[in-house]
Amino acid sequence: MTASIALWTSIFLNGLAQVLLKKGVGHSNDAGGAPAGWWLSLLQNVWVWAWGLSFVAATALWLLALSRLDISYAFPLLSTSFVLVALLSRLLLGEFISWKRWAAIFVICFGVILIAAK
Amino acid sequence: MNAGVSVNSESASSTDVGHVLIKTRAFQIADLSVLGSVLLAAVGHLMIKAGLNGAGSAAAIHGSIVERLGSYFSQPFVLLGLTIYGIGTALWVFAVSKRDISYVFPITALNYVLVTLGGKFLFAEVIPSKRWVGVAVVFIGVALMQSAGRKGSR
Repeated sequence: MTASIALWTSIFLNGLAQVLLKKGVGHSNDAGGAPAGWWLSLLQNVWVWAWGLSFVAATALWLLALSRLDISYAFPLLSTSFVLVALLSRLLLGEFISWKRWAAIFVICFGVILIAAK
Repeated sequence: MNAGVSVNSESASSTDVGHVLIKTRAFQIADLSVLGSVLLAAVGHLMIKAGLNGAGSAAAIHGSIVERLGSYFSQPFVLLGLTIYGIGTALWVFAVSKRDISYVFPITALNYVLVTLGGKFLFAEVIPSKRWVGVAVVFIGVALMQSAGRKGSR
């Protein structure tokens, strides 16, 4: 029971963290590398800090859950965060998700569920 | 003749050529960092699991949350796994800055493929045939994601 709560809270925070990170780093199509200044600027970015905190909390909860549950059971449940991230990225970031992209997301989730099936 | 043509095209559109090269390189670096971060995350997860398997002491199983976390973090494989995971995370941050999150995040499902393989070959877990079908379906999904385009309608 406790392990399940830790697991699902970890999954939610993990999904939320991705959207917070995207909010922080924005979108760039230019030149390949990332200069040192870009990495340093991330330290002053409140969204990046929010991502970091969510990520650390999710990881700690993940370790707690994993110590009680089989990795082959717990790991595939993370796939629910693909749908969560898609919904949050649309609501909070305004990303357009084509039907093809939705199809790909659900195929991936289906595959992960098959991997989890006994 | 050939030399003349190449000199001509270089002098005429050197900026364009440079621009195209930089763009191509950006795609390659971003895509490689996606794959690298997925690979490092999977290796990190497997090492963490190996470390947790080793944390079988009384404190690790029956202690308070603080005692349990303490015993996990004193496992060398857990620390090594977290370090590798951290390097993968830096690559991930870079990749996310170049791609839609709704495009790039589902690709991390390749983790499940790699962890399944790791479970079989490192921990000698028995993988039912249904699970191999799942591995194939995840591959198909990631291929679909590629064909759907990396930038959506941006």
